[in-house]
Amino acid sequence: MAVPEQATDEALVSRAALGDNHAFDEITIRYQARVYRLACRLVGSDDAPDVVQEGFLSVYRNLASFRHESRFGTWLYRIVTNAALMHLRARTRRPVESLEAFLPEFDATGSHRHEPAELQVAARADELLDRRFLAEQAAAALDRLPDLYRSAFVLRDLEELSTADVARVLGIEPATVRQRVHRARLMLRGYLTALAGVTS
Amino acid sequence: MTDISCQTGVELLMDYLEGVVPEDMRTSLDSHVAGCPKCTAFVASYLATPRILRDATAAAVPPELQRSLLAFLRAKRGEGPRQKD
Repeated sequence: MAVPEQATDEALVSRAALGDNHAFDEITIRYQARVYRLACRLVGSDDAPDVVQEGFLSVYRNLASFRHESRFGTWLYRIVTNAALMHLRARTRRPVESLEAFLPEFDATGSHRHEPAELQVAARADELLDRRFLAEQAAAALDRLPDLYRSAFVLRDLEELSTADVARVLGIEPATVRQRVHRARLMLRGYLTALAGVTS
Repeated sequence: MTDISCQTGVELLMDYLEGVVPEDMRTSLDSHVAGCPKCTAFVASYLATPRILRDATAAAVPPELQRSLLAFLRAKRGEGPRQKD
């Protein structure tokens, strides 16, 4: 039996832009899991449903502006990320303790202050820690990142977009993406180190 | 070839991994990390961090949101509820 060929994203977008609501439903179904996961990582699970709704509604309202010059997925990520960042700006955030304290430490000669066993332990955090505890702490750690670092880290390292695509989504230079992702990785690595039982 | 410190190596690590450091600096970094157990350990944990955070934050979309999202979008488009898709 022949398997029906799945419509491409771009074909669905073209049909939806011409008023085919079934095509837009198909886009929604195809991307809702990815969009929800992205929203959770950017704003937390409590606010994620609102961002998902706002994001898809914004996609629907802007279908006519999709130029087919970039991939639909990248365009969608830009819209949802903007919705998430607007959501973060609008809400009153409780003060959170910075992760700066988890940056790596060096002595006067520029050598690492800690021994190899301590420096490596973060790589085993998922073996050493209870899975649910790690999930809670990971969400809390993302929440403690500055917004600029979180958005770059989430898109580049958690959603696995290329640096060039993250730059397009956020409207910044690739070098700035690298700098923000690097800073976030350093803080989160130190945070995992502390969770796994030793200081950074 | 320039001799570099652990701190300089850490500062350049992301650019190194993305292939945007000059060749001579790349050679210096390779040489430093190969002879530095602390940096070897640090790089291992730096590389593992995205994977651990990715796995720990991979939330599944709740079924009730799947239903309510389609209903929300259809209502915004001025459509009534559908009996069956």
